[in-house]
Amino acid sequence: MNLHKSFILAIILGMASVICWELFWRSQGLEPNIDDNNNLSSIQRAKLKNPSNDQVVFIGSSRILFDIQLDLWKEQTGTEPVMLAFQGASPLPTLQDIVENTDFNGTIIVGVTEGLFFSTTFDKAPPISRAKERIQHYYDRTYAQRLNHLLSIPLQKNLAFVTVADETWDSDVDLKTLLILLRKGERAGPLPAPFYQFEDVSLDRNVQMTKRATNDTAYANTIKLAWQDMLSGDMPPPDKKGTTEFFLKYAEKFRERGGQIILVRCPSDGWFKEIEAKGFPRTEYWDSLVLRSKFPAYHYADYQQFHDLNLPEWSHLSKEDADFFTTELIKILKKDGVLTHSKTE
Amino acid sequence: MLFNSLSFVVFLVLVLALYYSKIFGWTGKKRMLLLASYVFYGLWNPPLVILLWISTVVDYTAGKKLAVLADKRKRKLWLLLSMFVNLGFLAFFKYGDFLLENFTGLLNAVGVDYTARPMDIILPMGISFYTFQTMSYTIDMYNRRLEPARTFLDFALYVTFFPQLVAGPIVRAKELLTQFYTEKKATANQFMWGLFLLTIGLFQKVVLADTLLSGTADTVFGSREVLYSLDAWTGTLAFSGQIFFDFAGYSTCAIGIALMLGITLPDNFRYPYAAIGFSDLWRRWHISLSTWLRDYLYIPLGGNRHGITRMYVALMLTMLLGGLWHGAAWTFVVWGALHGIYLVVERLLKGVVKVKINAWNGIVLAFLTYTLVNITWVFFRAREFGTAWNMIKSMFFLNDEGAKVLYEFDIAKVLLIITGLFICHWVMRNTSMKEVAQRTNPWVFGVFWAILFFLIVISQGSGEQFIYFQF
Repeated sequence: MNLHKSFILAIILGMASVICWELFWRSQGLEPNIDDNNNLSSIQRAKLKNPSNDQVVFIGSSRILFDIQLDLWKEQTGTEPVMLAFQGASPLPTLQDIVENTDFNGTIIVGVTEGLFFSTTFDKAPPISRAKERIQHYYDRTYAQRLNHLLSIPLQKNLAFVTVADETWDSDVDLKTLLILLRKGERAGPLPAPFYQFEDVSLDRNVQMTKRATNDTAYANTIKLAWQDMLSGDMPPPDKKGTTEFFLKYAEKFRERGGQIILVRCPSDGWFKEIEAKGFPRTEYWDSLVLRSKFPAYHYADYQQFHDLNLPEWSHLSKEDADFFTTELIKILKKDGVLTHSKTE
Repeated sequence: MLFNSLSFVVFLVLVLALYYSKIFGWTGKKRMLLLASYVFYGLWNPPLVILLWISTVVDYTAGKKLAVLADKRKRKLWLLLSMFVNLGFLAFFKYGDFLLENFTGLLNAVGVDYTARPMDIILPMGISFYTFQTMSYTIDMYNRRLEPARTFLDFALYVTFFPQLVAGPIVRAKELLTQFYTEKKATANQFMWGLFLLTIGLFQKVVLADTLLSGTADTVFGSREVLYSLDAWTGTLAFSGQIFFDFAGYSTCAIGIALMLGITLPDNFRYPYAAIGFSDLWRRWHISLSTWLRDYLYIPLGGNRHGITRMYVALMLTMLLGGLWHGAAWTFVVWGALHGIYLVVERLLKGVVKVKINAWNGIVLAFLTYTLVNITWVFFRAREFGTAWNMIKSMFFLNDEGAKVLYEFDIAKVLLIITGLFICHWVMRNTSMKEVAQRTNPWVFGVFWAILFFLIVISQGSGEQFIYFQF
């Protein structure tokens, strides 16, 4: 058996097919992107191993992840942002981890999305399990996983089709996802609406909405449809009491050791805003949490400048408005004197 | 380190570059391979390399002593020391929590109120594989079937050789150790064939097991509902494909990587889903484990030398322990028991019914064997007996109404792949991949190879572990 011919042909054809695959996805508007996976989160979490007072930690869910632009934050406050907000997750496990397993006693900014914050404290429920998985990965990650992630970064930066995602929603172009998108029929119930990617992520976990999701209304509409699909079924009732007590327990411990917590409610719009107003009336949830915790708290609705922001898919700000939101929020925080470690102007 | 990871690609390129460079002599190359193997293992959890060292030192010393000692009692003591250390590791790390859980259950059953905190012991990757491999050396030395390792380096490399360290094949000393005595170098053709085996092994793992089958198996076995028959069967068939592609994929990668270094490892799978009967199945599935169990358990238990009853008892015990080898849970024991029963029934039937196998009845019997194998996979995959029992009832149409959790597309996909798998195994039953490759036009073979590579690249996967790592 002479394998030389086969080997050379396999290399040429194999490489040519991969190049064609990359060019095809580029022609479809896909750009290289960093995946917001467990390894990327662990790099952020590792910053709290030897914490310093000029760090500000963000916890919460996707809204604070999209709406706070870390480069602007760093530039305008002089503090080092540590992004530990996770998509679709509750901030409670992360707060618990910071309080119990670190010496950090600077500022934590908690993004409050009521549907996730007040959802539950049950370990197996997705808002909690998702956050726990991310946190646990920091403790469990092997050297091999760290090395794999390191090696994947040049590929992620340069090839549009490359994905090293942990969540199904993080990739649109791997074979498994493409096959799922081919599903037809309703045998196991109505097919879930496809949930296309709409974020650009940098290595420091700065997340921005993609230009496509911002400028292409049809594309943004697919995400709106996915939200409606996900949130239209029967949802378990929120556990306001349990989650509030859990938060206050760890927040109080954090305050006792000199830490500062700031609550932020990021904007929502359209259908999202409507269902949140119905399901989580402000007075009953946000105001009650603020009243009980006595932490500085900022609700976007209280500020005129945040009333007409652009949320292309109802839940997250466009890149331009995230810049604006970040800048304006910093001004408000500075004016109130709650950013104790920021540089003075 | 996983074969399906970027770090392994870099690792392998470095190892091959050093191996084929002129920097080292043969001893230097072996030292480099040994160090690389420790890095390969240690990148997962460095402290657990110590277990490998202990196992290596104990069995090397025991082997040396067994080679020179004549005193039967002393020889037995050295053998027992090796057994104690290796089986002790297994008992503690793999079965510690299981034993504690059952002990607690037993006490509670007799009315003693006792609760024990789980020990939460880390299971060292591949411990079942390398302990069995080192034990085979000591047992062979004890039985004077083997010459002792010439040097400690050769023996350490035999225990730790990275291609097959964590998930086999479980290689006997006479098959691997002796290969380290003279310099090995792959020919260009061997190297490329090894690379092809690595490609097809990764294709089995990344594309077939992880991308095309695992999702369906996870949906079905993760469902808390009683399922509709078609869903139960599809999920089970998907798992049967997943576990084959996952494990055979690993073995194929291991054989390919070793071949790229000029080292030959034995086959671990020979198209098992075309087996006609269960004796045939175990000559084709995880061959290195089944021959290990035959040589070091079934035969010492008496084998077929002491009458029919004793033979059946030995067979059942071997399969029960074989089941337990796979995992510390009673579901694995039931899996082993079912295989034991199948083997016993097959032997009983062979004494009564004489069938001359031809192509027509052969494929029917192979299909029957595969169907029965699928029943056992339910117990292997289900985490709890409740789930397994519900699945079995659904598969035998005993649940009138069940939940439909799979979409038409997923059912069609699984049935297509599994039909292809069965036909492929049947066609390949009496031949080998190499023979087929030799008969194939090199250009066609090159295109096939490129397609495999392309599908691996676009599947990407999330670096999922091989199922057998947990064993």
